[in-house]
Amino acid sequence: MMDPSNINNFEDQWRKALQEASEAPPPSVWEGIEARLDKEQEKVVPMWWQSPKVWYAAASIVALLLVGGGLWLSGLKTGDKPQVAVNTKPAGVSEGESREATQKAASPNESLNTERLATASEPQTSSIKPGQQQSSESKTGIAATSRGKAVGKGGSAFAETKNPEAERQEVAVAASVRKPFADKGSVNEVINTSSSPIENAQPGEIAAAKVTGNSYAAALADQSQTISAQLLASLPYSDLDVYVQKRHVFFRPQIEIEEPVKEKKPKEYYAGLGVMPASFNPDVQLKEAPMAFSAQSVSQRRATTGSSEARASYAVQTQGGVRLSKHWSVETGISYLRGNSAYEGGGYVLNAYSNLSSNVLENALAGLTTSANSPAADKAAGFNNGALYIDVAKKVSNNYQYLQLPVQAGFTLNPDKKFSYSVLGGMMANFFLVNELESASGEIIRTTASDDIYRGMNWAATTGLRLNYKLSSNWAANLTGSYQKAVSSGFKSNQSLDAHPYLYGVSWSVRYSF
Amino acid sequence: MTFNEQELVKGCKQRNRIAQKQLYDVFGGKLFAICLRYTKNRADAEDVLQDAFIKIYENIDSFRADSPLEYWLRSVVVNTALNHLRQQKYLKELDDIDVHHNGLSDREFTLGNFQMQQLMEMIRELPPGCQTIFNLYAIEGYQHNEIAQMLGISEGTSKSQYSRARTLLQQKLNKEKRFDDGSVQHKQF
Repeated sequence: MMDPSNINNFEDQWRKALQEASEAPPPSVWEGIEARLDKEQEKVVPMWWQSPKVWYAAASIVALLLVGGGLWLSGLKTGDKPQVAVNTKPAGVSEGESREATQKAASPNESLNTERLATASEPQTSSIKPGQQQSSESKTGIAATSRGKAVGKGGSAFAETKNPEAERQEVAVAASVRKPFADKGSVNEVINTSSSPIENAQPGEIAAAKVTGNSYAAALADQSQTISAQLLASLPYSDLDVYVQKRHVFFRPQIEIEEPVKEKKPKEYYAGLGVMPASFNPDVQLKEAPMAFSAQSVSQRRATTGSSEARASYAVQTQGGVRLSKHWSVETGISYLRGNSAYEGGGYVLNAYSNLSSNVLENALAGLTTSANSPAADKAAGFNNGALYIDVAKKVSNNYQYLQLPVQAGFTLNPDKKFSYSVLGGMMANFFLVNELESASGEIIRTTASDDIYRGMNWAATTGLRLNYKLSSNWAANLTGSYQKAVSSGFKSNQSLDAHPYLYGVSWSVRYSF
Repeated sequence: MTFNEQELVKGCKQRNRIAQKQLYDVFGGKLFAICLRYTKNRADAEDVLQDAFIKIYENIDSFRADSPLEYWLRSVVVNTALNHLRQQKYLKELDDIDVHHNGLSDREFTLGNFQMQQLMEMIRELPPGCQTIFNLYAIEGYQHNEIAQMLGISEGTSKSQYSRARTLLQQKLNKEKRFDDGSVQHKQF
């Protein structure tokens, strides 16, 4: 019954009535819970067992026990006769004793055998020494107690067949000492009985004799007793082979791996030599017709329409460069450029009196010269009056020689590989050396820098693409496509002629890096 | 029953079976009563209790001593019961309902002479939604907005369902003629 309450509120009433309610659940609930908890634990346990580490640990412990046990047992072994077996197999000797029991029944369950022996020994002892039944019984007791340990029962069985009580105790001690052997080698050692022939044979006979209950067998039993007595006597320490556990310690010396220190590559310098077949065009333009031509009223052809035409040219190049970084390099050099071209300037003027002729370019050049010694100066005079314009299209050669000094930056793709590619760009100073212009009359008008017609130096922009093939660590072959274009006129300023030479070329060169 | 709550919890955290059993023995009855309130039959209540205890043992590590153990255990059981109801789809179609108040005032209300089992039976006879919301609101003491959040319903639905539960319960109580005369005929539980 619920307690009456002062609280009349609906919810409070219910809460009070039911909040503390309790009803015992049926036992099946806990059983179910427990079953599920067990299942949960099972889920965990196999994982633990599945861990290979556990097995490694177990295996190593077993191995340690085996080795340690072997050493310990060999330490216990004495130097008497059975040592023959001991030397070859540390565990074999003591097993000899246990074998006596196991041999008979060929069963690993030695405790049974010992019992059998013990019981068999009773009638024997009684027949041989009736007065000693008491002692034999007590020995049976010993056998029984040792049964649980499955230890050297053979030994105790012997003791029973023997008479002296004092010896019995020793045997019991011996049995306890041998315990580990019996534990380990019960089955296997039975097979190896041949390793200790003397002992094996005797106990085997004894056991047989006991079973038959023969008195002759009893005598044999006495013999075996003496053997075991010898064993006991020789138990104390003697010279033994010491089995030293060899430890192989595998360790790995800490080899200091020398970090291949990326030595900062010193700046790489290179020098190259090459030849560049090219197409050179001086691009000469006449800003205004020279006087001789402009005076020609008969012809309005105006040689100002003349144009330049590229001819086969070449350059011989030397270059030196430095690699600034993995990709970037700067190079310079000296080149000799022989730029051949032709000029087609239409007809030429012919002096009717002197029979001199002059094409437009030479006439223009003549008009530019300030030097009296200039070969072009000769042509300057004589065309003002009475000159004829011969309107014949004629090409004249117009060849230049320059000394070039480029400064270029290069960006190399794929550096340090067999093939690499560089993009080049920069400026080039062109130092004018010589101009050879073929005159209308076929002569060559040679103009040099000292004539003050051409600029001694004019600038050109240059760009190019280079294919670099590494021949060896030092040598490389280059194939460079170049384009050069003068940014300033080749002629001195304020002159009626203008030239912005440009060049296409493909350079073949070899380079040596050091 | 005398027991050291801390020791019990410690034992359960160590997965000690004896401690687990002791915890069950101490709280099993109360928790089973909760299960009975939230379910329709004993078999379901037993299932809920079992599940709840497994959860309790598995999550005991998350229990902090700053709140009473029983409070934590009750909340685990209630949540387990709600999960169970969701699985049974009892809570699927909760909707607003029209409620006609029967005009009973709280003042004259008393459950003094009813047996606990009778009251439990009345609750279990409620429609599932009403049953759950009544339990949560009246017994466990949650607010309607909390209930709405827990069950994924609107607050209005929670309120109307609760009113419905209350009306139905009062009708049942009336039916038992249990207000003034005290001559209740107890049903056998």
